[in-house]
Order: sequence, then structure tokens, then C-alpha cells
Amino acid sequence: MSDATFLEFVVFFSAAVMILGGAVGVITMKNPVHAALGLVLTLFGVAVQFVAMQAHFLAAVQVIVYAGAIVVLFLFVIMLLGVDESMDLSIEPIPIQRPLAAVMAVGLVGLVGAAIVRARDALIIAPGDGIATAADAGTHDANIKQLATNLYGDHVFAFQLTSVLLIVAVAGTVLLTRKWPKDVADTESSDA
Amino acid sequence: MIASLLAQAGDWTSPSIDWAALAPEIVLAIGVNIILLLDLQLAETKKWAIATITGFVLLGSFVAVVVLAVTGDGARSLFDGRYVVDDYALILKALFLLAAYVVVLLSQTELEEGGYYQGEFYVLLVCSVLGMVMMASARDLVSIFVALELLSIPAYMMAAWNKRNRKSNEAGIKYYLLGVFASAVLLYGMSLLFGATGSTKLTDIGAALLDGDLIGLDVVAVVFVVCGFAFKISAVPFHQWAPDTYEGAPTPVTAFFSVATKAAGFVALMSVVFIAFPGADGVYQPLIWVMAALTMTFGNVLALRQTNIVRMLAYSSVSQGGFILMPLAFAGEPGVGPAALNAVIVYLIAYAFMNLGAFAVVIAVTRKTRSGEISSFGGLFSYAPGLAVAMTIFFASLAGIPPLAGWFAKFNAFKAVLDAGTTAAYVLAAIAAVNTVIAAAYYMRVLRVVWMDEAPDGDTSPVKSPAPVVAALAITVLGTIVLGVLPNLIARAGAIDALTGAFAG
Amino acid sequence: MIAVIEPTWYLLLAAMLFGIGAFGLMVRRNPLIMFMCVELMLNAANLTFVAMATRLNDINGQTAVFFVLVVAAAEVVVGLGILVSILRRRPGATADDLAELKG
Repeated sequence: MSDATFLEFVVFFSAAVMILGGAVGVITMKNPVHAALGLVLTLFGVAVQFVAMQAHFLAAVQVIVYAGAIVVLFLFVIMLLGVDESMDLSIEPIPIQRPLAAVMAVGLVGLVGAAIVRARDALIIAPGDGIATAADAGTHDANIKQLATNLYGDHVFAFQLTSVLLIVAVAGTVLLTRKWPKDVADTESSDA
Repeated sequence: MIASLLAQAGDWTSPSIDWAALAPEIVLAIGVNIILLLDLQLAETKKWAIATITGFVLLGSFVAVVVLAVTGDGARSLFDGRYVVDDYALILKALFLLAAYVVVLLSQTELEEGGYYQGEFYVLLVCSVLGMVMMASARDLVSIFVALELLSIPAYMMAAWNKRNRKSNEAGIKYYLLGVFASAVLLYGMSLLFGATGSTKLTDIGAALLDGDLIGLDVVAVVFVVCGFAFKISAVPFHQWAPDTYEGAPTPVTAFFSVATKAAGFVALMSVVFIAFPGADGVYQPLIWVMAALTMTFGNVLALRQTNIVRMLAYSSVSQGGFILMPLAFAGEPGVGPAALNAVIVYLIAYAFMNLGAFAVVIAVTRKTRSGEISSFGGLFSYAPGLAVAMTIFFASLAGIPPLAGWFAKFNAFKAVLDAGTTAAYVLAAIAAVNTVIAAAYYMRVLRVVWMDEAPDGDTSPVKSPAPVVAALAITVLGTIVLGVLPNLIARAGAIDALTGAFAG
Repeated sequence: MIAVIEPTWYLLLAAMLFGIGAFGLMVRRNPLIMFMCVELMLNAANLTFVAMATRLNDINGQTAVFFVLVVAAAEVVVGLGILVSILRRRPGATADDLAELKG
């Protein structure tokens, strides 16, 4: 990484604010639609950070797949089910639960954060093949090419099997959400 | 235009692939497509044929595994060591395929009579098995993650398959939520592990962790990864999903979860523990020790209180998971590694037979009684002596009574733990011994109902079991007895040197 | 102030994102929002992978993110499918209402 310019700091911190702000929005918003919009903000922020780290292809895919497909799917389901009315946040099933969860989450972040900070110098540096970036002279698609070579070389089998995963997700979901024929009565569980 | 594109790709060379080594996976992948397409063509009355075809697909894959095992000359390493087909992988692939075959036999009549969507169910089942078969060979964080998701995502849907039943819906959503949470934890651990060690390949990670002292980041990453897998094997305190999901899901699916999915989780855990984490034994050993002790104790204590047989089997399977986990708590002790590996594999095989068998009996009996209460099994011996004897065999084996498979598995696990010879090992062995006694209590309670009690309502009309269920019972009874009487069959299989040789490298 | 944006910063950001996601998963009771929290956690892992890939100069980290994206898409489809099949029959269910099965 080269010396950061003022602009790079601005990009990092504004994207960080987007990410954390969006995330906080997801967990505090009462309306699921607002939460989904918070999620979009986070996902865009992550995409910006990807660009800042020279992972251009992933940034594009992040926007297309996550913001373009997954969040739209969320919104679509929210609309379909009509559950967009506010959820009552004041109900706490177990009174201790929220502070306990907060303590656990803060502890988790503190632990991981401390490990990361302490590992700052100990991390192994650059044993890999090196990452080509678009900044390399004359090869604007270098990152995509390198990613593709890796994907279709070492990881091609896992890649092929993800196609099976997508088939099964589609086939199964269609069946799960299909309506039953009218003449088949609902059989509530016998001992319910 | 295509020509110009091809010209640009001149520097591309396809990876050389050992297609023969991938034969089991390829058979399954083709099978998925065949089943999916045939299902569209078949009339509703002929859907039963799908089960038969699924059986053939699984057997075809099984044949491929056997051929690989017979003709194989040592390990076949693909994709730069990211996918390895060795004896360890082949034994486990065979186990997954056989277990899935038994589940297909059990599902057949259950699905027909229950009015489920059949064709797609088998597609999901085969996809899940494909993920497991992949898991047995995966030696890379990325392929382990993909395999785990490939086996879990169909499983979430299978749990919710009886969608007119509220319990099944909830079983699905609970399993899903905890499953994806576990995946996220696992994935975060993997990303830290990748950063801390500089590779996604298990062998490289192992080398990096052995090289020099562990730093905090390594420790955090190892803990996250082990906890992520702990969900899949329903180890306490990550077991909450198991009893609910087991009770709510259709019973053949429960049998599948409690045996195959759990075994796949153990396989993933074994792969990382033995290949990637030898340098981190100070981290994962105490963690697994605590989980093993908690798992067997909690599972047993809760199983004691259950009145529903499926729920009891669910908790019993949680507790059996503790026993399987036990040897792994000492996997890093000098000289114990091979014995621990052997013990886990032997236990997984024995457990598959006896637990599937227990579920087969439950399915056969509840077809008549339509009740999951233990009391409804009263007088089983008087009207279905065959089933009562089979049930006795499976439960005695689960309790660890010789000369059945479960006894040998438990003996092996204890031996591996005692080999370690440390205080921690003796303490864990003592906890396990106490738990064996507790477990025997609730297995015997069911058997007492079966043999001693009167049939409820005096209904002693015989149970008519359909042929596939009888076949499943025959396979599992045979497996349970043969493995118990002739333990050398699997004792040798689990101890092949090539297998540990691969881990040493 | 050091004039370099280090991968460590990205890692800390990801750790915070992971923590927020985990917290949300523990306290929220709306299954849809719980799914979103899982997405937050997956994104934390993605950010870590890419930051580590940059630090290590190793493309495998970026490949892993690609797989996570695919898997996350499949996961969400399945999760929402299961949810739709439940909520169509019982509007307004929360995770606590799903109490037919008692632990």
C-alpha cells in the first residue's frame, strides 16, 4: 500500500461510517423496510472498501448480487407478506437478554480487535503470488483475469458444485412456497 | 468475435483433472439432473419410481467409491492438494452413501403416504449427500465451506418439508437460523485463519501454525472455526436446534440429520483438527474436552426426562456426539493421533448403523400406532416380535452392550482417551463412564416398555412393514451385529497408515 | 498520525460489523431482520477476506469472497422460502411465537 492521500482517508472513513451506520440501522429500525435500506447502505460501504482495496471485480459483484438481488429479494418478501408494520421493540422476552447480548457482543469485538491489533506486526507478509490490480500499466482487467485463473484453476470443483447448490435452492424453494391443492386439508400436528 | 476472444485466452491452460478420482461426485451430480428431469415427466401415480432411481444413483456412486478403493494406489491429490481422495475420504464417502441409501429406503413409503412432494425431496437428499461426499475430500477452507453449505442448505428445506405441519415449519426455520449463524461464525473464523496463516490450504495452514508460537489471532481463529463446526455436530452449548429440529422434521429426515449430517460435521472437524491444527492443540484440545464432557452429560440428563421417543433419540444422539468427540480432545497428544482418528471413524460407522436402525424401528412402529410416545410401544413384543428384537439390538448397541457394534465403538473411544494418559484424559474417561451408565438407564426403560408392558388399548394387530423398511432394518441389524462380532473389519479400515500418513505430511 | 491506511483498520471495521450483526441476531425477534443480521456477519467475513488478501498479496482471499457471495444468495433464497411458507399461514410471527417446540 502506498502512502495514503487525504482523499483515501476520506474514502475509508466515510465508507466506514456508511457500513457501521447501516448496520446499526438494521438492528434498531422497527420497520423491516427501513432495516433493509440500512442493509443496502452497509453493502454499498463494503463495496467502496473493496474498491479501495483494489478488488474491483468483487466490488461490482457485491453491488450486483447483494444490493441488486439479495436486498431486492428481502424487500419483495416484506411486501409479499405484508409484514411491513412496525415490530414492537419494547417486548423483551427475557429482561436480562439485551444487556447480556450487548456485553457478549462488545466482549467479542474487544477480543477479536485486541487479537487483530496485537497481530499487526506478526502477520505473515506477502507469501502469495501477488495480486494484479487495475492500476498496473495497461492491464485494466488484470484483477478479473487473475481471479478467474484462480477460480477456474484451483477452485474449479468447488465452483462447479456451487451450481448444484443454486439448482437445489431454486427447486426446493419453488416447492416450499407452492400452494397445496385445495382438496388437501391442512393437517395440524396431531398433538399440538 | 469468439475467435478473437479465444485468441486472447491463449495463455489459459485448463487444470489437469483426475476424472476417475471424482467419479463418485460426478455420478451424484448427473443423478441429480436425471431425477429432476424424470420427476417432471412422471405422472403423480408413478412417483414411487423416483425412490428406486435415487437408490440406484447412490449405489452407482458407492460402486465408484469401491472401485477407487480397490484399484487405488495411495492418495490421489487434485487441484494442488485442495481435494484429496485417500482411504480416509473413501471410507467416509462409502459411509455417507450407505447411510443415504438406508434413508431412501425409509423415506419411500413415508413420503408416498404422507402426501409430500417426492421427486424434489430426493433431489435435495442427493445434493446433500453430494456435499458430504465432497466434504470427505475437501482439504481447503473454501471447498470445506462450499461442501458444508451444499450439505446444509438442502437439509434446511428437508426439515421443513412437511409444510402443512406447523412443527415441521418451525423445525426448518430454527435449523436454518442457527445453521446460517454457525456458517457466519465459521466463515469469519476462516477469514481470520486465512489472514493469520497466509493460505486457505489445510496443509499450509498446518505448517504455518506449527512454525513458531501461536499469536492471539491464531487462537481466535481456531476457536471460531471449532465453534462453527460444533453447531453442525450439535455439541453442547450449540445443541439447541437439535431436539426441536429432530422432532419437527419428518422422521426419515431426522434419521438422516442425526447420522449423516452429524457425521459430515465430524469429518470436517477431523480434517481441520488433524491436518490444519496440529500446531494449535493447546487451543482446540481444552475446547473440545469441555464440549465433549458437556455434550454427553447434558444430552443424557435431558434424554432421561423425555416421553417422546423421537425426542429421546434426539437427545441420545446429542449425547452420542459427545462420545464421538471425546477422542478428538486428545488428538494432539504424542502418539494418540492415529488411535483417536481410528476411534472417531469406527464410532461414526457403528453409530450410523445403530441409530439408523433405531429410527427404522420407530418409523415401522409409528406407522401403526401413529404416536411418538414411548408408552405407545408397550407390548410391542406381543404383536411384532421381529421389531421388538430388532429394537432391542439397536438400543443395546447404543447403550454399549457387547457383542454389538456400539460396544466396540465405545471400547475404542475409551482406549484412545486412556492412551493419552494425562489427568484430563482420566477425568474425561470417568465422566464418559458415568454417562454410559445413565444412557443405559433410559435405553433400558424403553426396552422394558417394549417387553414387559401391555399394548395400549389392547390393540395387538400385527404391524405390516413395507418391503423397503424391512430392507433398511435388515441392513442395519446386519451391520450392527457384524461390526460387533467381527470388529476387525472396521478396526483395520480405520487404522490404515496411508490415512495418518497423509495427515503427517 | 501514520499516513497509511493499513489492512488492520479494515479488520477492526470488520470486527465491529461482525459484533453488530451478532448482537442483532441475539436481540431481534423478527426472522427477516435476523436474516439481515446474518448478512451483516457474512459481510464482515468478506471484508476480512479481502483485507487479508491485500495484506498477504494472495488472490485466494478474493476467490473465497466470490464463493461467499454465491452461497449467501442461495442461503437467502432458501431462508426466505421457508419463511414465506410459514408466514403465509400465520402472519406476524416472531421467533418467540415459534414456540410449538419447547426446548
